[in-house]
Amino acid sequence: MFKYVKHLNYPIHIKKKDLKMAKYLLTQFGGANGELGAALRYFSQKFSMPDEKGKALLNDIATEELGHCEMICTMVHQLTENATVEELEANGLGSLYTEHGKGIYPSDSFGNPFTVTYFAVTGDVLADLSEDMAAEEKARATYENLINMTDDKDIIGVLLFLRQREIVHFNRFKELYDYYKKKGY
Amino acid sequence: MLFDHTDFNYEMGFFKIPGSDFNKEIRKDKFWSPEEGFLRGNLTKNEYVPYKNLTYFKLEPQDEQESLLYNLMAYSFAINDLNLYLDLHPEDETTYELFKKYVKEKNSLEDLYSEKYGPMTVTETQSTKYSWLKNPWPWDNSGGSMYV
Repeated sequence: MFKYVKHLNYPIHIKKKDLKMAKYLLTQFGGANGELGAALRYFSQKFSMPDEKGKALLNDIATEELGHCEMICTMVHQLTENATVEELEANGLGSLYTEHGKGIYPSDSFGNPFTVTYFAVTGDVLADLSEDMAAEEKARATYENLINMTDDKDIIGVLLFLRQREIVHFNRFKELYDYYKKKGY
Repeated sequence: MLFDHTDFNYEMGFFKIPGSDFNKEIRKDKFWSPEEGFLRGNLTKNEYVPYKNLTYFKLEPQDEQESLLYNLMAYSFAINDLNLYLDLHPEDETTYELFKKYVKEKNSLEDLYSEKYGPMTVTETQSTKYSWLKNPWPWDNSGGSMYV
């Protein structure tokens, strides 16, 4: 069961128009290394975790990742909400606007729709956790690329926060991986 | 420069609210305070890895409501990070005590917020009218959408 809490994981108030960033940020919602893939990956994998620690950790990180989806979408929404069609087109968002208007469709920055083929569920705890560790590193790298694409502090502050969460999650998954490995899985 | 290398300046108290003394609530050995951890996105001191020379952005709440909200968010953040740690270390009683303390503080901040500004969860019903649906929703840019 899930309960909604009416605040973001970290505050977002974007004040500067930076429509190119909206396009790039979208990939962290529906791209290969994005938050939606992360949430669904851990959510799906939790059912085959062999003990309490694994069940709890994958459940709780999956839940946090859903909150991060909301953060990415919030940034895209705030950046595009008041943009004109001309501005969207001039900043490479013309195709996205044609398909989705001002809606936030889970896709990467090229407009490729989200697909569950971005992640695996093997039922093997070591294989799944290895993927989870790699996924966190890939998301961290993507956040660093995104940080390099802008000088807007309202965006960078949020990206630094999200990047740091990837580091924390990687560490937790690594800890769990080592624990299972030692247990002989 | 937007960011600096200095640690959190306790004198600033930029989202401190009267009666809250959590700036002093530091478990020096292992974790940042909720406020410091929240800004960094990481509660565990020795796991914090900044990117290049960028540490974190100092939040500047625009009013009393936002101050209270940021305090609440900081505790909520700390609870979540301890939650993940405790999932793997349920035997760590000291950390569980800290966790319980933060939950208590978060709950009282949430009650205060709900009472003044509206519900954080749908089951908070201090208001005489149903107000769950009221704006702003978290994705609304109440801060400055007119400039974007």
